[in-house]
Amino acid sequence: MLSLNNNFNIMIMKENTNILTIITWVILLSLASILLDDIRQFDFNQFKEFQNWAESADKNESWFTSKNAIKWSYYVISAALFFFRGYLIYGFSYFLSILKEIEKGNYFSNNNIRSFKKIGNIFIWYTINVFVLRFLLASTRKSTFNFFNELKEEFTFLIPAGLAFYILAEIFKQAKKTKEENDLTI
Amino acid sequence: MLAKRKMKSKELAEIIGITTANMSILKSGKAKAIRFSTLEAICKALDCQPSDILEYVKG
Repeated sequence: MLSLNNNFNIMIMKENTNILTIITWVILLSLASILLDDIRQFDFNQFKEFQNWAESADKNESWFTSKNAIKWSYYVISAALFFFRGYLIYGFSYFLSILKEIEKGNYFSNNNIRSFKKIGNIFIWYTINVFVLRFLLASTRKSTFNFFNELKEEFTFLIPAGLAFYILAEIFKQAKKTKEENDLTI
Repeated sequence: MLAKRKMKSKELAEIIGITTANMSILKSGKAKAIRFSTLEAICKALDCQPSDILEYVKG
C-alpha cells in the first residue's frame, strides 16, 4: 500500500514537472523571439555610419564630447542591453535543468544547488548591469537620471528574486546534508 | 559476532528486515546513525548485548 501510494505520488510529480517544463519552454521561446525581433528592429546598419568616423569627425572638438562618440556609445549601450537580455534568458534556462533533476527524483542534488545559485547570480548581475547601462544611456542623451525613479522600474524586482534563489540554494544545501544523514541512518 | 553465530550478513539482513545495501553500509562503518529498533533487532537476532557489537574507538 505504501509503495503504491509512493508510485502514485511519483506519477503526479512527473506530470507536474512535465507541465512546468512545457511552460518554461514557452516562456523561454517567447522571450527569445521578442529579443530577436527587437534586435531586428534596432537596425545594426547604423554602425556603418561610424566606419568613416575619423573623416567626419570635427578635429576641433574633443573626442569625448564629440557627437560621433556620443552616438556611438548610445548604440554600444543598446547592444549591451540586448546582450544582457539574452543573459537573462540564459538564466531562465537553468529552470529546465532543475526540472530535469526533479523529474529524475534528485530533489536535493548538487546540480540543483548550483543551478539555484547561478539563477540568483544572473538575476542580480542582470539588474546591476542594466541599472548602470540605463544610467549611461541617460547621460548620452543628456537626460536626467533619477536614481529613485529607476529603482521603481520593474527590472529591479529581480534583485529580491535573485536573493531568494540564493536563500533557496542555501536551504537546499542544508536539505541535502539532512537527507544524506537520513539515508545513512539504518 | 556474525562469525560466532555462523551467520551470513545477508541472512541477518533478512531477519532484521533491512536491505543488503544498508547492511553493507552498517558493516563498512559508513552509517551515520542507527535506530534503536534496528539495534534491538540485531541484538535479538544475534542474541547479544549492544556492547558486543558496538565499540568505541578513540578518534
